[in-house]
Amino acid sequence: MTNGTMQKETRDDGQILRVRARALARPLDRPASSQAMLELLEFHLAQERYALESRWVREVLIFKELTPLPGCPAFVLGIVNVRGRILPVLDIKRFFDLPEKGLTDLHRIILVSGNDLELGLLADSIVGVRSVPMADLQSTLPTLTGVRSDYLKGVTADRLVVLDLGRILADPKIIVHEEVDT
Amino acid sequence: MKWNVGMKIGTGFGLALAILAAIGIIAYRSIAKLIDTAQWVDHTHQVLESLESVMSTMKDAETGQRGFLLTGEDRYLAPFLAAQGTIDGQIKTLRDLTKDNINEQRRIDALEPLIGGKDGKFAELSETIDLRKDKAKGFEAALAIVRTDTGKKTMDEIRKVVDEMKNQEITFLKTRTDEAQAGARTATFAIILGTLAALAVMTLAGFVITRNIADPLKEITVTADRIASGDLGVAISINNREDEVGVLARTFARMTDSLKAMAEVAAKIADGDLRTTVTPQSPNDVLGNAFARMTENLRDQTRQLVEGASVLGSSASEIVASTTQLASSASESAAAVSETTTTVEEVRQTAQAASQKAKAVSDSAQKAAQIAQSGRKSTEEVVAGTNRIRQQMEAIASSMVRLSEQSQTIGQIVATVEDLAAQSNLLAVNAAIEAARAGEHGKGFGVVAQEVKSLAEQSRQATNQVRTILGDIQKATAAAVLATEQGSKAVEAGAKQTEVAGESIQALAGSVTEAAQAATQIAASSQQQMVGVDQVAGAMENIKQASMQNVASAKQLETAALNLSDLGQRLKQIVERYKV
Repeated sequence: MTNGTMQKETRDDGQILRVRARALARPLDRPASSQAMLELLEFHLAQERYALESRWVREVLIFKELTPLPGCPAFVLGIVNVRGRILPVLDIKRFFDLPEKGLTDLHRIILVSGNDLELGLLADSIVGVRSVPMADLQSTLPTLTGVRSDYLKGVTADRLVVLDLGRILADPKIIVHEEVDT
Repeated sequence: MKWNVGMKIGTGFGLALAILAAIGIIAYRSIAKLIDTAQWVDHTHQVLESLESVMSTMKDAETGQRGFLLTGEDRYLAPFLAAQGTIDGQIKTLRDLTKDNINEQRRIDALEPLIGGKDGKFAELSETIDLRKDKAKGFEAALAIVRTDTGKKTMDEIRKVVDEMKNQEITFLKTRTDEAQAGARTATFAIILGTLAALAVMTLAGFVITRNIADPLKEITVTADRIASGDLGVAISINNREDEVGVLARTFARMTDSLKAMAEVAAKIADGDLRTTVTPQSPNDVLGNAFARMTENLRDQTRQLVEGASVLGSSASEIVASTTQLASSASESAAAVSETTTTVEEVRQTAQAASQKAKAVSDSAQKAAQIAQSGRKSTEEVVAGTNRIRQQMEAIASSMVRLSEQSQTIGQIVATVEDLAAQSNLLAVNAAIEAARAGEHGKGFGVVAQEVKSLAEQSRQATNQVRTILGDIQKATAAAVLATEQGSKAVEAGAKQTEVAGESIQALAGSVTEAAQAATQIAASSQQQMVGVDQVAGAMENIKQASMQNVASAKQLETAALNLSDLGQRLKQIVERYKV
């Protein structure tokens, strides 16, 4: 192999790398204007995209070590130990009559707090945090009725369903107070 | 008077017989007389002999006496004693011999006392002998008696009587001899004369009888000879004779007539007229009977002949047809044989080709046997190669197992990385949440958190790609393991099959060797077969020639059958000429 070809290859390598860099480059996220922005945590529930206001969210956890609680409503999956605190985990898919697919390690727990309550919500997967202008948020869809309409804050242009966690947490139905007759 | 032949011959022979009888009687009588005379001569000689013996005895007696008287010894008495014993017998014999002659008897009567009487010679001799027996003076006393001469006188007497008798007998002898001679002369004369007369008579009778009988017989013989030579147109002139010759001549004439009748019948038969009926002359008529039987048989036979000729004619026609067919068949068969010969020639060429092919096959089989040998070696090499392949396959399988294990390890690492990515993602999300909570101050941190999340996401995607690749690798590995196992098994099976193939090839090599030997034998057999086919071809050629000859023969046979048919027709025509 000659020196010439070596040099040519070196030059070709640089060319290839530049082409690849251009292909991989993504446009910068343009920060929204100074208008009121809504910080959202986007997640998936049964292939549907949902979001929460990130101000309610304390943190996101890996779903593990769930202890089922007998005698609770179906939406209460059980309890988990998060750094010494025992917190209930709710399955909000039950509220929206979404199909169950069983529990796996891939599920995530979104730890939320508000109204003196602290609990975990089961999500199929976490997409990420994003900011949406308040103006873009549309009112609820007329097809969504009942509990769903009650818990919804709105829908974005790209069909992201934004949940109103304040109302969920304020809903007395999620407070379990039952006595089991012996 | 009728004189038949018997009487004539009898008369002639009777005359001769009478003369012969007369001669015989004369001769017999002469001979009888001669015999009688001879007997008498003999008798006379006996008498003479007897007289001589008497005289001799007397002389013996006297001689004995004289001897004794002289010597006085008893041994001289032997002649005397013998004479004394025999003399009486001799005198008796003499008396018997001369019984027929009285004179002689008388003389014997006179002689007897002289010999044996009281004063006879023997008495005197005995007396002297008795006296001489006295030794002292016997000799003297005896001599005294002798000197008396009584003895001598007696002896002379005896001699005289005997001489008389002798003379008498000699006289008889002379007379009888003369008679005998006279008789013999007469007989001789009579025999000569008689014989001459008989000769004359016989000659005459023979001449007459010959004239009378032989001439007509000669004529008849001539006639018979002519008849014997087949000439029946004869006539016998002798008709007027009444004797046997005449009868013979008439019988001959009748016979000739009968023969003429037969000849006429035969002539008719010869002309083909079989309607004649022959009446036999008598039950013993052999010829007539034979003729009658002959005509009858001829009629039957001619009828049968007619029928036979018809049958022969039709048969000959059929034979002609058959021979014509035969000739055509022979021609066809000759053609077929010719074709067959051609075919056999083709077969011969084919056999030659087959022989060459068989030779080529034999060579090919030899080559095949060599190839099979090399194939066997190749199989052994294949077995060895298969074993090596199996070892390499085992090595590959163990490598694949190790690869699989390492893939799993990689999978675990990937899972860990994935887990780390997920946690990083969560951490980024949490950091973003915290940044959002911090407000304006947290914005830079939020960007960092976003970048971290992006990295985590990229990491996750990379991990996913790695997992996908790993899955592919695992699948490929599994498939490779499976394939290796299958390959292993296949190699195993291949090894087994190779072994089987080796055995098969070995068996094949054996079979091919056998096939080569068989091919060689086939080649040899083919050679023999070719020779045999050559012989067949030669035989076919011979058959062809024979067939040609057959055709020629069939043609000749056809001609012959045609001739036969013509013959049958002619025979039929000939037979039809006979009137039955």
